[in-house]
Amino acid sequence: MDQNQIIFDKPSFIERLKRMLGVDFYRLLHTPVFYIFLAISAIIPAMVLSMTGMSQEGEIAKPLYTETWQMIAAKQPLYVVNDIADYANMNMVFIFGGIMISIFIGHDYRSGYVKQLFTTHPQKQDYMLSKSLTGAFSMTCMCVTYIIGTVFSGILSGTSFEVNVSSLLISILSKMILSLGWAGLYTFINVILRKHFGIAIALSFFIGTGIPVIGAAAIVGNSSLLNLFLYGSSVYACLGSSVTAFFSGAIVSIVWFIFYAFLGSVILSKSDVY
Amino acid sequence: MNAVEIHNLSKFFGQKKAVSGLDMVVPEGAIYGFIGENGSGKSTTEKIICGLMRPNNGQIKLFGKDLSDEDVRHKIGCLIETPGCFPNLSVWQNMMIQAANISLRNPKEKVAEALKLVRMEGSASNKFRNCSLGMKQRVGIAMALLGNPALLILDEPINGLDADGIRIMREVLTDLTLKKKCSVIISSHILGELEKIATHYGIIRRGKMIKQVTAEELERECPKYVAIKPLDLNSAENLLSEKYIKVTRKDNFLRIYGDASPEETVNYLFKHGIKVEEVTTEKISLEEYYIDLMKKGENEIW
Repeated sequence: MDQNQIIFDKPSFIERLKRMLGVDFYRLLHTPVFYIFLAISAIIPAMVLSMTGMSQEGEIAKPLYTETWQMIAAKQPLYVVNDIADYANMNMVFIFGGIMISIFIGHDYRSGYVKQLFTTHPQKQDYMLSKSLTGAFSMTCMCVTYIIGTVFSGILSGTSFEVNVSSLLISILSKMILSLGWAGLYTFINVILRKHFGIAIALSFFIGTGIPVIGAAAIVGNSSLLNLFLYGSSVYACLGSSVTAFFSGAIVSIVWFIFYAFLGSVILSKSDVY
Repeated sequence: MNAVEIHNLSKFFGQKKAVSGLDMVVPEGAIYGFIGENGSGKSTTEKIICGLMRPNNGQIKLFGKDLSDEDVRHKIGCLIETPGCFPNLSVWQNMMIQAANISLRNPKEKVAEALKLVRMEGSASNKFRNCSLGMKQRVGIAMALLGNPALLILDEPINGLDADGIRIMREVLTDLTLKKKCSVIISSHILGELEKIATHYGIIRRGKMIKQVTAEELERECPKYVAIKPLDLNSAENLLSEKYIKVTRKDNFLRIYGDASPEETVNYLFKHGIKVEEVTTEKISLEEYYIDLMKKGENEIW
């Protein structure tokens, strides 16, 4: 066979990404863990809402939430957490998403799939983008089941549904679009720590809880500078949000997404894949 | 045109040299038996060729193109150690995923074809985790064959294969090289099997290529000999050493190299009153050649 007989295909970036997304979405939809997290996202609001009104030592505890939609977002953007009501809302989906992405990417490495993958067409940037987009999709789905769970638990507990509808929609959409940035961050963490699954999952959980930003807020207070970070922007998307929150959240999410995808691709290209 | 040309390849893991100044040439259409002890650098070299590891130094050309050219890698089919499949998905689903990764047209047809080639068409719906080790290796070979690779890299592919599986793989590889001019790099510790199919050999030791030979050259380097088992080993050895240039002892056998024939040797000993229990004509096997080479290397190094 001479060289002329060997045809070296060169699929375009779009073609490669489409195929890789196809594979990743197929895998996601065939991963039981994805459905488990969808279910957890739906159950958590019911659990939190019911537990906040539970009796303690014979006394009925004062409910933490007076309105159902506080389960979606806090009334005000409070970075300094005073009680669980400031914290336990739809931002918890980003913790579940972190664990989900760690399992998803960890599986690529543990099964040896990456060695099959990187000897074929896909390139490192395709991998980063595809995993991030699939992760963002999974978190958006968790947001949807979380909302459904919130509505049901609100109905069952008889909690008020009063809200400024536009602010509610802005906060929901902001959190959904912030999934992209979060997914980029988690993909990056898991690619960097690809040989240390346990550490990757623990770090994803830790970052997802927002403790670094909450810790920073304890020092600098409720500063709007914290909105530059994903957790800060996620808190900023609250029930008092204006359209500014949506745009700032979208910008923060996209910038971090691009940053992590770029950095992850560079690091993957300069290191041993498997 | 060579399928693979490697010059001065080095790879370090911290202070440890996995591959050190390795040179390697795999001609197109060759079945290249890549031999070495555990930890000698075979898998590392193969991973570097596949693009899974980055070398610290050296040049690699595949079909005349630099390895950094991403397009050239698409012509590689590989099975490194074990197939990278998702255990919760079926054999068919895993194959279809790989078909998508290599942008295969008519994927269903091609996947069915590859599975048929390794006699796995009846197990396509099995979950990968439920497959035996041998079946998994067959799936890995089928995956490597998808998309008509111009270069096939197989790292220990016959691990876990039964006799039938080994025969099928031998047929598939021979067929690929003869009909499709595919080049194959295959590493294995089962040298007897390798000897049946390889056209070229590369022997690696501590990250360095210590010998590259063609099967013809190896044939010349592994001469035939007459092996006899006399009742009186010492007397027979003394007697034969006077008549023949090279006589060696191995266990209870004497090996007579050169142009000796079994009949002539037996008659000669019989004339001198030495009875012979067994006599055969044999050839130095690849395994023996390799062990001798390793021993020689050991003496040179230490």
